[in-house]
Amino acid sequence: MGDKNKGLKRLIEFMHDRIPMHKFNFENLVLKKEVPIHRMSWAYYLGGLTLFFFLVQVVTGIFLLFYYQPTVSDAHASIEYITKYVNNGFFIRNLHTWASSCLILCLMAHALTAFAMKAFAPPREIIWVGGALMLVIGFAFGFTGYLLPWHQIAVNATKVALQSLDESGHYLPGFISGIPHYIKEIIQGGPDVGQATLSRFFALHVVILPLLCFGILGLHLLSVQLHGMSQGVDDLPKKSEKFFPFFILKDLIVWGVAFLGVFILAVGIPFESFYAFPFFQAYNALGATPEGIKPEWYFYFAYYPLEIFPFWLVMLGMSVMGVLLFMTPWVFKKTSRRALTILALIMTAYLVVMTFFGQAIYEIVKGVKG
Amino acid sequence: MSSFFTLLLLTFIFSSNAMAHPEYLQYFKKESGRAINCAMCHTNPEGPEGVNPGQIGSLDPEAKKLLALAREAKTGDNIKNPILNDFGNEILNAIGHENLVELEKDPGAIPGLLSKTSDLDHDGIPDYQELLDGTDPLNPNDGLPWKLFIHNFITNWFQIMMITLATISGVFGLYYTILWFSIRTKKEFK
Repeated sequence: MGDKNKGLKRLIEFMHDRIPMHKFNFENLVLKKEVPIHRMSWAYYLGGLTLFFFLVQVVTGIFLLFYYQPTVSDAHASIEYITKYVNNGFFIRNLHTWASSCLILCLMAHALTAFAMKAFAPPREIIWVGGALMLVIGFAFGFTGYLLPWHQIAVNATKVALQSLDESGHYLPGFISGIPHYIKEIIQGGPDVGQATLSRFFALHVVILPLLCFGILGLHLLSVQLHGMSQGVDDLPKKSEKFFPFFILKDLIVWGVAFLGVFILAVGIPFESFYAFPFFQAYNALGATPEGIKPEWYFYFAYYPLEIFPFWLVMLGMSVMGVLLFMTPWVFKKTSRRALTILALIMTAYLVVMTFFGQAIYEIVKGVKG
Repeated sequence: MSSFFTLLLLTFIFSSNAMAHPEYLQYFKKESGRAINCAMCHTNPEGPEGVNPGQIGSLDPEAKKLLALAREAKTGDNIKNPILNDFGNEILNAIGHENLVELEKDPGAIPGLLSKTSDLDHDGIPDYQELLDGTDPLNPNDGLPWKLFIHNFITNWFQIMMITLATISGVFGLYYTILWFSIRTKKEFK
């Protein structure tokens, strides 16, 4: 009984330190909050920028929701209708697509810089775990949103991804080997990717993931506000500025410039133009699968290794990385910021190389021409 | 029952040879380095042969007459082949059926024989160029990104100018608000 009380007491103390609600007052949140100024200060804007792109996604997503039809017979036609006939439909859809890529780019950059700055150090573990969950949710948004237009690349890429999930079960021991297949069946909702899958992906994309996102984002932002910005560098920063109004106004300037950038991209370059047109024809179950089906660019870091190396090796690597992502505050608790910065740079280099040169590497390794 | 077997037979025959002229497809695929399918010129993305909509097996007698006429098309004609899309018909009418079949040996000559100004999807990239680039001449959202950007930037210059002015004004306002706060707080600290 005594041990039970001790455990509960420790848990309460842990939560009290991680979410110090006694700091939830005007004085702490507005009057006293400071942002350190040092060589990594620019990284403090990445969180706000991620939030900004998320808000763009919410607004443009609501507009798209007015016209989008989540049925296999009408999904592609409704997307074409939005693009061709709805006032500014092309712009809103293109803005949604560009902003989704910007959102995931910012999420990744935010995670990497937070890692390098050791922003997960106690008592910020919950902030980090919340952020890691948001990163996973961001990828889930991308994955589920990809299927919704119901075109060739969307359906075929989803099939490949679900098949990979299923196959990962072969490398798991004992009773847990059936879990990936079970998850695939839940996601897919039927024997093949079809209406049930589209309905599930739609529900995930527009209801479940946003609700999860709002909850975790709320906790993430609340924790950040209660703890203040992380120190970011080893030596105690000599200078700092008030969060309110200075940092928040500078944040708004960054948002404005980011909006200008994404606006020009959305007006100027249809996101689909980066892929060949056969990929964007309505999915035809009886038709031939176009060559060169790929996932979105932000999955290349996992896609190309899957194409090059044995499946089990990549799955093992990804699983280790997944566990490390969530266990970072405990695994790297005693690691210096210098070492963390080197690790973050290595990860950045890997992501950049796989995203930009993954295809070339694949062609060289496999001796094929794409 | 017999119609079912006929359909099955037709599907089997046609599915083994869905592409009537694979030379064109292979050539432009290789040249552009992009995935291309029959939808660039044909109504049906799977090609002309088969029984699905837009394929020869699905044509009614009236459409079959048009197809026969299209097979006689000469340079400069204005015939609408029912198994071709607007771009396919543009090629057919610009080159003529007989010449087009001969060009199977030299598909690279086709863009040079097309109009240099025709732009069916109004995306700013001429159709002949889209054929070379391996992009869809009937889809304004498909083209090489940089070329589309230049065209769309020029077309939407007013909107882009307005949003740029709005952003500059906003940044200007925010900058001076920060400056004002800065001066105010310093005064307070004094």
